[in-house]
Amino acid sequence: MATPQKQGAAAQKQMKNVPTFRTLARQDESVNPSSRSAAYPRLQKISAPHIDSFNSIFSYESPQKGLLEKAILSIGSKVVFDGKENRNKIELWVSNVEVGKPSVEGARGSVHTQLFPSECRERGVSYKAKMQGKLNWRVNNGPIQTEQRSFGSLPILVRSLKCHLYGKSPKDLIKQHEDPEEFGGYFISNGIERLIRLLIVPKRNHPTALIRPSFQNRGPTYSQYGVAMRCVRPDQTSQTVTLHYCNDGAVTLRFSYRKNEYMVPVLLVLRALADASDQELFERLTMGKVEDTFLTDRVELLLKSFRRYDANTRKQCLAYLGDKFAVMLDSPEDKTQLEVGEEFLRSVILVHLGEKDYREKFEMLIFMMQKLYALVAGTCTPDNPDSPQHQEVLLGGHLFLAIIKEKFVDWLSAIKTQIQTDIRRFPATVDFQDKKYLTKVLTKVSGSADIGRKLEYFLSTGNLVSNTGLDLQQTSGYTVVAEKLNFYRYISHFRSIHRGSFFAELKTTTVRKLLPESWGFLCPVHTPDGSPCGLLNHLSHTCNIVVSKLDVSGIAQLVASLGAGQMAGIGPRIKGGKAKSDEGYEGSSDEEMEDAEGGDASADEEVELDVDVLTKQREETTVSIQLDGKIVGWGTAKLVERIAKQLRHWKVMGSKGVPLDLEIGWVPPSNGGQYPGLFLFSTPARMTRPVKYLANGKTDMVGPFEQVYMDIACLNEDVVPGLTTHIEFTPTNILSVVANLTPFSDFNQSPRNMYQCQMGKQAMGTPTQNLPHRTDNKLYRLQTGQTPVVRPSLHDEYGLDGYPNGMNAVVAVISYTGYDMEDASILNKSAHERGYGYGTVYKGEWVDLGDYRRRGEPISHHFGFVANGSEVTSVPKKLLDRAKDYVDMDGLPIIGVRLKQGNPMYAYVDDVTGKVTLAPYKGMEDAYVDEVRLLGSDSGDEELQRIHIKLRIPRPPVIGDKFSSRHGQKGVISQKWPTIDMPFSESGIVPDVIINPHAFPSRMTIGMFVESLAGKSGALHGRSQDATPFKFDEDHPAADFFGEELKEAGFNFHGNEPMYSGITGQEFKADIYIGVVYYQRLRHMVSDKYQVRTTGPVHNLTQQPIKGRKRAGGIRFGEMEHYSHSYVCRICGNLLSPQSVPESGSSAAVSGGGVRNRVRCVTCGKTEGIDVIAVPYVFRYLCSELVAMGVKLRLNVK
Amino acid sequence: MDIDHNGIGSFAKSKIKITAADSDAIHFTLSDVDLSIANSLRRIMIAEVPTIAIDLVEFNENSSVLADEFIAHRMGLVPLISDHAKRLQYSNDCNCLNFCDNCSVTLTLDASCTTDTTMPVTTRQLQSNNDNVQPYFRDGADPGILLVKLRKGQSLSMRCIAKKGIAKNHAKWSPVTAVAFEYDPHNRLRHTVYWIENTVTGKPRWQEIEEQWPDSYYADQEDKPAPDGTFDYEAEPRTFYFQVESSGALAPGEIVHQGLEKLAAKVGGLLGCVREGYVWTEDELRYESEDKHPVEYRED
Repeated sequence: MATPQKQGAAAQKQMKNVPTFRTLARQDESVNPSSRSAAYPRLQKISAPHIDSFNSIFSYESPQKGLLEKAILSIGSKVVFDGKENRNKIELWVSNVEVGKPSVEGARGSVHTQLFPSECRERGVSYKAKMQGKLNWRVNNGPIQTEQRSFGSLPILVRSLKCHLYGKSPKDLIKQHEDPEEFGGYFISNGIERLIRLLIVPKRNHPTALIRPSFQNRGPTYSQYGVAMRCVRPDQTSQTVTLHYCNDGAVTLRFSYRKNEYMVPVLLVLRALADASDQELFERLTMGKVEDTFLTDRVELLLKSFRRYDANTRKQCLAYLGDKFAVMLDSPEDKTQLEVGEEFLRSVILVHLGEKDYREKFEMLIFMMQKLYALVAGTCTPDNPDSPQHQEVLLGGHLFLAIIKEKFVDWLSAIKTQIQTDIRRFPATVDFQDKKYLTKVLTKVSGSADIGRKLEYFLSTGNLVSNTGLDLQQTSGYTVVAEKLNFYRYISHFRSIHRGSFFAELKTTTVRKLLPESWGFLCPVHTPDGSPCGLLNHLSHTCNIVVSKLDVSGIAQLVASLGAGQMAGIGPRIKGGKAKSDEGYEGSSDEEMEDAEGGDASADEEVELDVDVLTKQREETTVSIQLDGKIVGWGTAKLVERIAKQLRHWKVMGSKGVPLDLEIGWVPPSNGGQYPGLFLFSTPARMTRPVKYLANGKTDMVGPFEQVYMDIACLNEDVVPGLTTHIEFTPTNILSVVANLTPFSDFNQSPRNMYQCQMGKQAMGTPTQNLPHRTDNKLYRLQTGQTPVVRPSLHDEYGLDGYPNGMNAVVAVISYTGYDMEDASILNKSAHERGYGYGTVYKGEWVDLGDYRRRGEPISHHFGFVANGSEVTSVPKKLLDRAKDYVDMDGLPIIGVRLKQGNPMYAYVDDVTGKVTLAPYKGMEDAYVDEVRLLGSDSGDEELQRIHIKLRIPRPPVIGDKFSSRHGQKGVISQKWPTIDMPFSESGIVPDVIINPHAFPSRMTIGMFVESLAGKSGALHGRSQDATPFKFDEDHPAADFFGEELKEAGFNFHGNEPMYSGITGQEFKADIYIGVVYYQRLRHMVSDKYQVRTTGPVHNLTQQPIKGRKRAGGIRFGEMEHYSHSYVCRICGNLLSPQSVPESGSSAAVSGGGVRNRVRCVTCGKTEGIDVIAVPYVFRYLCSELVAMGVKLRLNVK
Repeated sequence: MDIDHNGIGSFAKSKIKITAADSDAIHFTLSDVDLSIANSLRRIMIAEVPTIAIDLVEFNENSSVLADEFIAHRMGLVPLISDHAKRLQYSNDCNCLNFCDNCSVTLTLDASCTTDTTMPVTTRQLQSNNDNVQPYFRDGADPGILLVKLRKGQSLSMRCIAKKGIAKNHAKWSPVTAVAFEYDPHNRLRHTVYWIENTVTGKPRWQEIEEQWPDSYYADQEDKPAPDGTFDYEAEPRTFYFQVESSGALAPGEIVHQGLEKLAAKVGGLLGCVREGYVWTEDELRYESEDKHPVEYRED
């Protein structure tokens, strides 16, 4: 126990900044919303990866120059020849693609045509803006001709650069019917909010060593070793290349292009990249380690095996490649083999490196091969592709752009194909000089010109329709609906990050493991249990994703100035020790190296497993320095480590132009560990997170690659002087937003916190503040939500008081009446009557009269009772009487009216037949009409055809509804117990909820006990209680802190109180633990679940009741067979052959009544021996299925 | 049949001593009664003292942001001054078809906002057709209970029918917010066992209890027993400390008064049942009818 002094100090510390409910400040915020900036910047940052990546499409290198421009530029041109005598050539390409801001189409004469997100939601349309661009062409290298073309309407991300809400203040947002803290980050597709999921992909521009048994299936001699590299072009599209090691010493380069796999001998590529002799290649690959016979043998084999290709010079190799890949690349006919070969190297091989930098590609390829050989030799371990160290994020904006780019390519290809078709079929019509011909071609391919529609399809279905596959592993599941079930759920969508649906099918669980490498980047708590466990993760709340372009133009020079060698000839090499004899080799190619190191490489001692020797040996290993997958220097490990430290210092200081978001991954040499080197990353889509740099107390942004080799202390006491360089700002930084909202989560058993992360997202709460402007299909609302008395500090920082998710309840932990067994809880009837847990479900229904006619036909249906040109009197009175209480004369429901199942909800009349139809309300529960929205067309000149009806279904808590605390303690209400019968305390407090003590021992949710204590003292003292985890420790226990507070208020230190039975008035033998706990009402309600019936519709094949509540189906409980009486032939044992035939057999008798039917076995031909037995109907069905397969079933009837 | 004269029968000898009282709450000590009687009083005060509360709301117009049923629920919880309840009939017992002046009070509320600022609608705006039945306000400065806020152009117009009822049926009819109830503050009777943190201090248990358990509210009302005093295992609780906090519907003293009346009537009814041949008065039967599950009474 803590000493009183210590407690006093702790209490005082706490008192200094007593957490309050900020009631007045919050009221002021909502009464006078800011006209400048958002009140909760943290909340605004939630959608940052989505918005920033979308913005980078339009603004990346400079405010005007976005990735889109790069992508369009990199498409290049398509070339077609007309096959006529003079071989006319037409070259087509796209340029100047521009996207506007969302506007209403076809709105003439209106005040403004701006389309706002709220209008899209309310009208059920998509939020999109016009995309235009230039189609350029030239014939026979003549003058360039240009035409402005429209490419449809591109879906626009809400609150992005192209959105009308960009940079809007809370005040303006409210004017636009949005929440004051709306943070955007989603698209609106037909009124539904959808977002592109963050996806985990391999880290770009870094070769990963892999050992995969499946590599052996690539072909004979293929081994399990490979080195893969996902290379990303400047426009953020990627191309993966993999080097495979073959058992015969060969190395092949594998890549996939337009969904086809290709393998190329790596030497062919190397030779094509640079004029390198066999000797040079040998030297470069072996790095002078000639005594390493394992390596030299393999390199020799490799070089020898290449002899069978008759390609010795660079030109020969290029021509060879050009010859083989001309078809794959779809290159123009007039290109030479050499040119095609170069095109191949440009567009497939290590595309992250500059187009003309063949030397750089050569260097990198050599490096990859060295890593591959090291992997085969076992001197380096395979990299773990499931570790965040080798992963990055596929951002929505980047994927979106990649699809746009591909659709442009598809459009150009379609034009080409169309021209070629014309040449084949109607050669006479083809005339490149004639603009009319081109216009004709363009109209024919107009289907693929509507790129906006293609993207809308992608967003609304999540399906990727692609010819190239975009270097991704899945074709569907890219987008999800941003459900506004409650605010926690909504937030989580933007922070969730998926491993990819490919991994969901994997039998192994390795991909789902929680790895230490993910510390601080992925939340260890917030992942669902069940099938997506470990695959669907959530970003830690401080985890940031780099999206903007970093200026790293000076880095290479900085590295050189720090002493790194620029000579790229020598890679990792062990001096001394094993490489005893390499002295003789040094000489020539090592001179530049010597410069760099200051020439102190003369160690050649005996191999000794001495620590010092080993350390020295490692320090003198030569390693490479790479920036974004490009080798920028070499040096000894000792030097490079110094460079890394210096760079980090500059980075944190912000000096020398080293950007803060640069990742400095120093992998030191080790005995069989990760392949060493200094790997710098500046590219987007990397995760980073803030930690404190101990040297100067400033913030350093750390990435998952470098973090593995860094010494970051979690708490002050973890700091090891001389070793630790960084410290966490606070340990809660590792948790996601939702996981952070579990109070005192550090007191709970860990799975309970996982459950709470799920249940917090299922709670009925406050999904949004702009309820009257929402048209969701289903929305849950807790009517009397409260701010929790006990909440972590982040609750305020994220402004969650605007979205209450539950209510504070007085909870007694007592076994009372027996109705609280097995996680059931007893609800105080009076608490219920005063509104505890009262919720409402809003259901939206779209009605479109246009569905009743064919497209393009004139309007034939109208809301109301009177057809065009007829009188009210013509409407049948009976019909009007039936409708009058529910539907107004305009055919629309009366607002506020209560609808029961079958009541008319709206009325419409058909012009043609004059018939009035009363559409009934189909729901099973009574509902109130909350809102009716009349929806116009885009141009607003059409008669009313569409409406949206919002129904309100009251859902007071009933027995069987699910409630939970914030500690994974869920339970159902088993009784509404009268107040007078409830136990009560001496001060007359009657608990709202009673839970059973048995809920605790096995679950160990101590956090709930602490919350109860803190809640009680908070309620007594009238203050909010800080429940941030990791604030208390063994020396300052939470129970003591809150115990003191309780004592101060005159209550028992431990939270117990003597209580009395409400029924007898007698004091209980034991004291009861009673306090205030925040309770969530979960959306699982019995009224959605009950499915009981005795008779009703059955499945016509099995005669069993059909399942599903929608079809009034029953819960399938054990045997659901429908028993039938079936005839069976005793003689042949056949169940199916006895058939009922008319006795006389004449056709007249069949039609006539009164003729007795007789059962006869059709196989035996007898009517004797037929019995009636009771068998399940499905058994009969089984028999007939077996008969269909030719299996005879014989029943031995006794 | 014997009647335990120390229990119910001695009810008449019981004493009530009011220790403190103000407009919100009353403190009193009930002595020389059995625990069951004391608890019955507590239960009756919570759930069976009739008050008047709004039971039906007819909306003429509601363009506020709150749904009809939600406002109706809020209206129900508004405490109405219920001294008139005595003169009001239960709606169920009334001869009228639906409700009438004998069994109900009508309150109306008409509010519409025409200003640019939001307008709070409070219970101050409720107009009652019976001067005796009004919403409760502490004093003239009490702004009343906020019911809903209206913005420009919104309005709320409704007619509320208040009826007499008891909290057994709905919490809104409860005249109290809480009833504190305590007996034996020093645990002489050992009805409870004070739990103490198991420490290694080696102090005697009574001392630990003294340190860890705060004195209860009424601890000074009884003498503290000596730690080594003898335990009278036959002793029964005879003194009960009450604190009744009113919702405003009835004065605290009135709640106790009506509670006692009701209790007396109940005990009377019970005695009647016990005595053979006793014929229930109409009045007694009426009390019984308030229960959801009326007792079947056989007269033989």
